Amino acid sequence: MSEKGGKGFKSSLKSTPSKYGSGKDDNSTKSKKPKKVQFDSLGTKESGYKIIQDSDDQFQGSAKGGKGSKPKKTTLPKEPQPPEFKAEKELPENAKFLMDCEAFQILEGIKAHIAVLSDDPSIKTPVSFDGGVEYVKYGSCYTNPQSVRQILEPLKKHGVTEDELCMIANACPESTDEVFAFLPSMKGRKDKIIQPLEEAVAKLSKLERSA
Amino acid sequence: MFFHIVLERNMQLHPRFFGRNLRENLVSKLMKDVEGTCSGRHGFVVAITGIESIGSGLIRDGTGFVTFPVKYQCVVFRPFKGEILEAVVTLVNKMGFFAEAGPVQIFVSNHLIPDDMEFQAGDMPNYTTSDSSVKIQKECEVRLKIIGTRVDATEIFCVGTIKDDFLGVINDPAAAA
Repeated sequence: MSEKGGKGFKSSLKSTPSKYGSGKDDNSTKSKKPKKVQFDSLGTKESGYKIIQDSDDQFQGSAKGGKGSKPKKTTLPKEPQPPEFKAEKELPENAKFLMDCEAFQILEGIKAHIAVLSDDPSIKTPVSFDGGVEYVKYGSCYTNPQSVRQILEPLKKHGVTEDELCMIANACPESTDEVFAFLPSMKGRKDKIIQPLEEAVAKLSKLERSA
Repeated sequence: MFFHIVLERNMQLHPRFFGRNLRENLVSKLMKDVEGTCSGRHGFVVAITGIESIGSGLIRDGTGFVTFPVKYQCVVFRPFKGEILEAVVTLVNKMGFFAEAGPVQIFVSNHLIPDDMEFQAGDMPNYTTSDSSVKIQKECEVRLKIIGTRVDATEIFCVGTIKDDFLGVINDPAAAA
């Protein structure tokens, strides 16, 4: 980081006599606003910001000279922890999560459509389509996605995100313990959410398809 | 997990496909080109569900091909870390087992199989508990958690675990038979 700052300084010093080449001009314009550009970009990207914070903490630790305490702190997070489900953060723009039962409904509709459309023998249903249909056919435990949404939608008021909601619907949970095991991020809100979740799970179990 | 997404693609079409059926030709080419493909960012494109818009075509210099920007809606399947999937076991060996959940292949290492399950070699290799009450073998269904994904240009490969609460065998057709 200190190197970056140093480079910025050098280029800004160079920028005063640079009116010879367009390339240098470009560099100078970039380097004239390096502080703004760098800070803006770091500020907007959360992940980048976090890294800097972490590194700052480490630097602070070393500056304080806390040799004994800091290394212990760094070893603690190394314990193997199951990855938390954060699909919403990884989701691309313009995307909407689908529960397996919703996907099944859509894909079944398309399947019929494809059968009609495929006069062209060169159009074959791709392997991933068949795989996807197979997966949702046997994986989804509910036949009526609308009623599943109706049951789970109130959980959003209690901070349950769209991806968590779909995960609950896909897992077909029999108890709230099962939900908390699959979504450890919800354990922190357990006190607030346990009652509406219990109600939702009870209603879902009534909906469950008799396979 | 499945999701619905709007994607864009520049489609090149030969002039012989122009005419009254241009739109149909464009859509069928899009289906051929896109369905079944996989990208690391979006996952497997399972099916195109609709066309949002088709922009005006642009003739490519030197060729008769015309490029049309097409916006389309599609159903995509992508595994996420921490997600719970139900998968069918396809291969069992001493290193662990492979399973398939839709178009995705998942490997579960023997380190991520409960300690009380041991590998049994033979015609039908399997992992079995000491009391033989639970058996993981080919074609049985397991519920697993995705703990890692490796993204290729055309494939997504996952690593999973069944060493957690509420995970493991959910249906064994061999036992049921």
